[in-house]
Amino acid sequence: MDEAQVVAQLVRRCAQGEAAAWEDIVRRFHRRIYNICYRFAGSPDDAQDLTQEVFIKVYRSIGSFDGAQASFNTWVTTVTRNLLVDHFRKTRNERATDSIDAAQGADEDGPTLADRLAADGTENPQRHVESRERREMVHGALQQISPDLREAVILRDLQDMDYREIAHVLKVPEGTVKSRINRGRAELARLLQRTYRQAL
Amino acid sequence: MLDETKSGMPCAEFDVLLTEALDNALKGERRERFEQHRLTCAACGTLFAEASSGLALLNELEEVAPPQSLVHNILAATSEAAQKSAKVAPQDSVWGRLGRQTKAVFAPVLTPRFGMSMGMAFFSITLVLNMAQIRIKDLTPHNLSHTFYSSENKFMKYYENMRLVYEIESRVRDLRNASEESEREREEQNRHREKNNNQTQEQNENNVPEQRHEYSRGLEAQLLALSGNEWNLAMQRRAI
Repeated sequence: MDEAQVVAQLVRRCAQGEAAAWEDIVRRFHRRIYNICYRFAGSPDDAQDLTQEVFIKVYRSIGSFDGAQASFNTWVTTVTRNLLVDHFRKTRNERATDSIDAAQGADEDGPTLADRLAADGTENPQRHVESRERREMVHGALQQISPDLREAVILRDLQDMDYREIAHVLKVPEGTVKSRINRGRAELARLLQRTYRQAL
Repeated sequence: MLDETKSGMPCAEFDVLLTEALDNALKGERRERFEQHRLTCAACGTLFAEASSGLALLNELEEVAPPQSLVHNILAATSEAAQKSAKVAPQDSVWGRLGRQTKAVFAPVLTPRFGMSMGMAFFSITLVLNMAQIRIKDLTPHNLSHTFYSSENKFMKYYENMRLVYEIESRVRDLRNASEESEREREEQNRHREKNNNQTQEQNENNVPEQRHEYSRGLEAQLLALSGNEWNLAMQRRAI
């Protein structure tokens, strides 16, 4: 039985009210949903809240999931994306125009430097610090690009979804998805280039 | 940029093929055409460089570990939601549906901003009632009608008093105006009379020199006549 079939069976059991099946679904998908929320919203606290909201929504509407239309993975991603867009619209006024620098310290709940060093003790600590700083800058720059481009880039480059699935989630043609991904990547590179230039 | 065609490939096609090229999925003749266009079109060349650089940067981002408590929190939140929906479910017959419909109708009103405005309005009304020494428990139909009639009575009395005051005031004003007018007339009459007197005096004064003049002329004539007679007499005497 492959992964898709296992998930389909879990969903069926969950729809019948089996608590263990639901717990299994949460354990399988929470990491992925959390990462999408974290990369889109930018802060670990927001990501945690949003992940909870996504799962509440999924729990309530799991009965309406139709496996013939899309995979459960795509369906959950669509729910997440819709919730993130709603959240973005709601918080538009509250959001300050954060600079990339302000967003740099946001990666609090990510793996710590000690974790990374422990994972690969052979690498130079200095390189670890530089790499971590660069990742934080990329994460900060990701928050600066427009939501349309951001979501396309996150789903493709961070979640490894294929273009057809992304088109299904974003409800746009595949050509538009590809164009958004290209523009998102280019915009990110330009932003970081500008930041490096300012830093120098 | 997207309308141009260079090396037999429009920029729009280059844009679509760019993702495939960066995925290393572009092979053979398509790859060659793509590369030719990239080298000849400056805008597409820049886009390729930036997009590949952006992709490399994004590939550096690793999956972050969610908080340890996340699964527990999700399960707690969903079980809470399940309990709530279980409690709500029996009411879903008539009242539940009615409640949901009412909620949907009043959804635009049930916002924090509207609540704040309502609170402020209530506060203002309470303040005004306090200042006017009106108690909420006094607001019964009987009390309200009593208050209404007593207020009306007070208002009518006030109105009558005011009318009387204004009437007296206007009468006094009329009297004052009338006395002022009669005085003014009397003064004018006096002034006129004085003027007339002055005029008659002046006329009298002007008439006296003329009379004198006439008188003197008469005297001269008499003198001349006398002198003539004397001349005649003198001549007669000489003749004698």
